[in-house]
Amino acid sequence: MRRLYLPGLAVLFICLVAAAAPLLPMPDPIRQDVANRLAAWLPGSPLGRDEFGRDVLSRLIWGARSSLMVAFIASAIAAVVGTALGLLGGWFRGVAEFLAIRGADVVLCFPPVLLALLVVTLLGPGTATLILVLSVLYLPGFIRVSFAEVLSARNQDYVEAVRALGAPTMRILLRTVLPNIAGPVLVQFSLAVAAAVVLESGLSFLGLGVVPPTPSWGLMIRGARSTMEQAPMLLVWPCVALTFTILAMNILCDAVRDIADKRGGGGAKRLRLVDRLLPGLFPPPASPAPLLDVQGLTVEIAVPGGVIKPVEDVSFSLSAGRTLAIVGESGSGKSMAATAIMGLLPPAARAADGVARFEGEDLLRMPEAQRRRLRGGAMAMVFQDPMSSLNPVHRIGDQVAEAIRAHRDVTAEAARREAVDLLKRVGIADPERRARAYPHELSGGMRQRVMIAMAIANKPRLLIADEPTTALDVTVQAAILELLAVLRREEGMGVVLITHSLGVVAEVAEDVVVMYAAQVVERGPVAEVFARPLHPYTRALLAAVPDGDAEPEGIPGVVPRPDQWPPGCRFAPRCAHATEACNAAPPALEGQGDRAVRCIRWREIAP
Amino acid sequence: MTAPLVVAEAVEMSFAPRGILAGGRPVRAVAGVDATVAKGEALGVVGESGSGKSTLGRLLLGLLAATGGSVRFDGEPLPKPGSAAWRKLRARMGIVFQDPFGSLDARRSIGAQVMDGLTIHTTLNAAEREERTAALFRRVGLDPQRMGAYPHEFSGGQRQRLGIARALATSPDFLVADEPVSALDVSIQAQVVKLLAELRGDLGLAMLFISHDLPVVRHLCDRVIVMYLGRVMEEGPVAQVFARPLHPYTVALLSATPMLDPAKRAQRVILPGEPPSPSNPPSGCVFRTRCLHARPACAEAVPPLRSLDQSGHRVACIRAEEIG
Repeated sequence: MRRLYLPGLAVLFICLVAAAAPLLPMPDPIRQDVANRLAAWLPGSPLGRDEFGRDVLSRLIWGARSSLMVAFIASAIAAVVGTALGLLGGWFRGVAEFLAIRGADVVLCFPPVLLALLVVTLLGPGTATLILVLSVLYLPGFIRVSFAEVLSARNQDYVEAVRALGAPTMRILLRTVLPNIAGPVLVQFSLAVAAAVVLESGLSFLGLGVVPPTPSWGLMIRGARSTMEQAPMLLVWPCVALTFTILAMNILCDAVRDIADKRGGGGAKRLRLVDRLLPGLFPPPASPAPLLDVQGLTVEIAVPGGVIKPVEDVSFSLSAGRTLAIVGESGSGKSMAATAIMGLLPPAARAADGVARFEGEDLLRMPEAQRRRLRGGAMAMVFQDPMSSLNPVHRIGDQVAEAIRAHRDVTAEAARREAVDLLKRVGIADPERRARAYPHELSGGMRQRVMIAMAIANKPRLLIADEPTTALDVTVQAAILELLAVLRREEGMGVVLITHSLGVVAEVAEDVVVMYAAQVVERGPVAEVFARPLHPYTRALLAAVPDGDAEPEGIPGVVPRPDQWPPGCRFAPRCAHATEACNAAPPALEGQGDRAVRCIRWREIAP
Repeated sequence: MTAPLVVAEAVEMSFAPRGILAGGRPVRAVAGVDATVAKGEALGVVGESGSGKSTLGRLLLGLLAATGGSVRFDGEPLPKPGSAAWRKLRARMGIVFQDPFGSLDARRSIGAQVMDGLTIHTTLNAAEREERTAALFRRVGLDPQRMGAYPHEFSGGQRQRLGIARALATSPDFLVADEPVSALDVSIQAQVVKLLAELRGDLGLAMLFISHDLPVVRHLCDRVIVMYLGRVMEEGPVAQVFARPLHPYTVALLSATPMLDPAKRAQRVILPGEPPSPSNPPSGCVFRTRCLHARPACAEAVPPLRSLDQSGHRVACIRAEEIG
């Protein structure tokens, strides 16, 4: 709310001064005094006199009356009528759309001055005519903005929901659609008011608007122009008034829009600039090790309230030719861990601690240039949404070829041929023809195959797949998982598969890491973990899967937010086995052969 | 089973391409589907994207006017969308959407949104509406104290509960749940499915449960319809369809579902090729282009749904006996 005060006060001040003009002790704005023309200062005239010796301050304040009145009334008329037409056109389509949109187009076809001339010829000059002309001129903007917004709002589920409740059309339009299109309309209003003040001065300048000697800012600018060299300040005062008014209006409209917007997030907290320096200048020496060895990986994001850790002390290792699944609910930090390993963390986040050794070399402390050579080369990533990961304006064959040429020095022709081979390799029928297709011409499954083709283009030794099948249908998912399994077998890749589907884990992975609230809570071979889960969270997660004959059981509550983690075991508030001791201190990850579990009571409660 | 509440006969929905310049054929999203939902029954509709299952849900609700066939609700044909009779009927039907974020208006308080049905359809005063809404909040497991809050303050699972509360405000007889748990984490899914099952039992709701997740349908529904490209491939009691699928598409769908214990899953069937375009479906059986058992005869005529026994388990495949 505080954001409203300053611009609100400014606009209120301008309006009050303009309204109170007749009451203020000022000289008559029309009275001429040729003897004192262009005087810079006179007693009672702090801003001096204009070319006819009239008091400038007085004319400025009286001018605000006509300028602002014209601008506000014209914009308000245009806003109400235009939004109504846009709403009706966007909602009912058909004839209403035709009338609203084509009507707006007709108005847009006329040059503003021509339209003004036409109206003035018919009605004679004056303030009322000016308001009419300006409101007609700004009408199309409001129609277009509200029409476009209604079109996108009407397909939203929440509008469909109110419709399904049988709400009368008027109620839907006023209670549901209007508040949701209000933001852009308000912005349009502030622009219209500002532009109307300027246009008013322009039209008055041409003699089509406010009739002299009635003061208006437009007429003042026009008058000052001829004497610019003798009295430059005469031009400055009305311009300053104009600028101040328009600025105040724009800021006020922005503030109103943000406050009217109840979606939250509008006032998102700004993130402090995070130092990119990595701690641990002397990492432990590399040992001959698995393909990927992650130890104590911690990711930090600095927020105004302190530092949150979306990934905390995550350790696992992966050998060549094996698949490791990282599984967890949304908000568990599984994707963040993968992006940290790839060096693709968002700017606000940094890998604060731990090591991630890829073939013995620490990815976290590697110079970005070296890491870039690895990415897409020796290690590759497949994302959840293939549509947003592919460039929509390039043919898919060219995109695959580009991935090849980014890492290897081959000719365009050779890369193209290789791209076609790769497309064939990932099971795309008729690869020659499909290579010339654009992403939107392919189905979701096809696009994911293209993404995989790009990922394996340079024979990576490590593939990180972040929810690669979540957006796909089950039959397509089965085909993609099959493809990944074949590629892994034939190429000997190590695969890190990030997923929330325990069924997928059971089908394709050998090892599993279960994450909850940024931490690893259980780790081990899939067959053992799923047959005999040690952590209550793993057990609850398995019981929630609607598979088999038992009724699925939900886990009460939700994953806590990173800034509200419980002091002890993070799962304790949702755990059926929690005791006092669980809330006292954070439990450590206990190793047990090739398994590990983070629970102080696992021995008592494991079956 | 009691009397049918919703009966669709050969219902059909074609979407004509819009605009003057848009060429091409109309898309038949639903092509001649029969479906009945009895009072208190839960009918599952499964199928993949483009199978027409969501369109079928909106046809049964009368949110879309069918371009062919008929839908009857409680013995009466559905009135024209937008008419006074249609609006009155809204009180007896509810819908729950898939997307817990897009289905609530971000700019209105959740209390007002859940109350909408009462405001529109009842003559209760503000205090009575408030009281009923509070009861609804408690019923779906939310704190009535938070009625003044806005949707962004709630998690996905809680929003889905709000969506259910909104749909149930007018005590409808028929509820369409369009993938209500697909966007939720598995631990939250089970909570919401359980809530729907309880509500169905307590209120005697007839429910159409649309999903691509077969195991969820198995736990929640009495009967199931399997759709592919706008047509019904197979229908019958849930236990039978899942234990002994008759249609090759159902077999592929079941085998593709990842299971915790892969040993329990049938031999995986990977479907060859791509789903055909709904604007240009194959002749005869629409599934034949991807079917491992297709014969030239499959291209000749659209196979009718037929019973192989007396259990109400029906299949649209001319080779069901040989394959099974």
